[in-house]
Amino acid sequence: MPPLPPHDAPPESGMDRRSFLRTSAVLAGGLFAMASSLKPLMEMEDIPSAERFLQKYYKELTPEEMQKVLARIEREVEQQYGIRPHVRDLKPMDGVEFVYALNLTRCIGCRKCVHACVAENNQSRSPEIQYIRVLRMPHGSLDIEKADHHYAPESVPEKGYFYMPVQCQQCRNPPCVKVCPVHATWQETDGITVIDYDWCIGCRYCEAACPYWARHFNFTKPSVPRERLNPNMAYLGNRPRRQGVMEKCHFCVQRTRAGRYPACLEVCPAGARKFGNILDPNSEVSHILRTKRVFIQLKEELGTSPRFFYYFDV
Amino acid sequence: MKHDAHTRLVLAGLTVVFVTLGVCFWAQLWARPEPVRPNPLVDPAFLETATWRKSYTDLIRAKADLSDFDCYGCHEKKNPPKLRYDDQHQLVVPEEHSDIVMGHGKHGRNNNCYNCHDEQNLLQLAARDGRALKLEDSVPLCGSCHGPTYRDWEAGVHGRTSGYWDRSKGPSTRQLCVNCHNPHSPKFPGRKPAPAPIPLRPAATAPAVQPKP
Repeated sequence: MPPLPPHDAPPESGMDRRSFLRTSAVLAGGLFAMASSLKPLMEMEDIPSAERFLQKYYKELTPEEMQKVLARIEREVEQQYGIRPHVRDLKPMDGVEFVYALNLTRCIGCRKCVHACVAENNQSRSPEIQYIRVLRMPHGSLDIEKADHHYAPESVPEKGYFYMPVQCQQCRNPPCVKVCPVHATWQETDGITVIDYDWCIGCRYCEAACPYWARHFNFTKPSVPRERLNPNMAYLGNRPRRQGVMEKCHFCVQRTRAGRYPACLEVCPAGARKFGNILDPNSEVSHILRTKRVFIQLKEELGTSPRFFYYFDV
Repeated sequence: MKHDAHTRLVLAGLTVVFVTLGVCFWAQLWARPEPVRPNPLVDPAFLETATWRKSYTDLIRAKADLSDFDCYGCHEKKNPPKLRYDDQHQLVVPEEHSDIVMGHGKHGRNNNCYNCHDEQNLLQLAARDGRALKLEDSVPLCGSCHGPTYRDWEAGVHGRTSGYWDRSKGPSTRQLCVNCHNPHSPKFPGRKPAPAPIPLRPAATAPAVQPKP
């Protein structure tokens, strides 16, 4: 008499019906669960064109390739907004280093700069992305813990408070650039830290590294009303961003690298904002840093060495 | 034997968990994306770059109606108007000039019209050093008292400079004192601030901080 096969050995045919059904159920369930978890991919709207997907790094683009990229951006913007923009790739100028000076004695906290910036730089309106945050602080200290940027009185300036607009400080030693894992943000020779929106992977390390809350992330597709779109654009500046990339103040490269003042300065009713070339001894900012009581670079103890100076009159 | 039943039970349990998870994902039973609330667009008046006042110089440039500045349409030449004061030694502004609010200097101390206007010729201004200045040339008049501010203004530091920082690429414009300051009441007037940032959720605003007493 041959010995009986052990109880848990598979039958001669390889698989009985019961275990077949069981395995199929587990497999089908697993596949279904995986498909469901991948479902958000089906809702993806912004599928990159092959051209954008294969685009080279900004610093590796030849001038001819850059022209093609700019033409592609113009085409895409026109497709989306119905307005033909003028997109340029403006390079830093020789012998120019930009510096911003802001007079805390003069600022009245009217927030006009915030909205001029939004209009100039095509920032998302819903949800809002704003590069400038105007802090209201009680007189007598400079304690950011006590600052409020949601103030909404009938009239500014209010008694007992002063106002301090904070935006990207264009640090000489920028922590955001150090942490970027893909070199999508870097400091240019004129002092502006720029972002290549086509190279950014949206990891938000820079947002975490920035001590000035200056970097903003596009959590949703940015919404810019067609009638408020600014068609004067720059590649590293105010061209429309996509969902999932970082953005921040870039001293209006589309204006300042063409010789003009930034939009926040042009709209200031108190003349509190001053901008210019620090390497030119006759510029306004040089005069301010030489003669005024320049009291802080914000959080200077961190060693970021901002190019944004706050000063007082007299 | 016992071991086999245990494995089967675990597998069946896992299958149920996976399928339930799958159903939940499919129906988006949690983490349903919140719809983006459309925010109201900011009033374009807040994007306006013009100064809030027009100076006499601007009016001349715009070829506007200057009849308001024709002093001798009402006043007599060689008969300068008398100034009247109340018992608090405050200037009494005549009805014809009721649009003028006097508020130059603390406690209304600078309340003599002829501190700035020329008594003998109302069409011009008189600086402290005796210079006669045209009405559209008021900056040196202000500078004759406000020295440090005048120095800063000349250096481009006080008041806004707009246009081109790179003077080789285009022009830049300075504002005159009276484009931003009312000469009769030069303190910067209060104004309504532009809307505050709109939080994603209404409750997300930070508590307001009270100023120190």
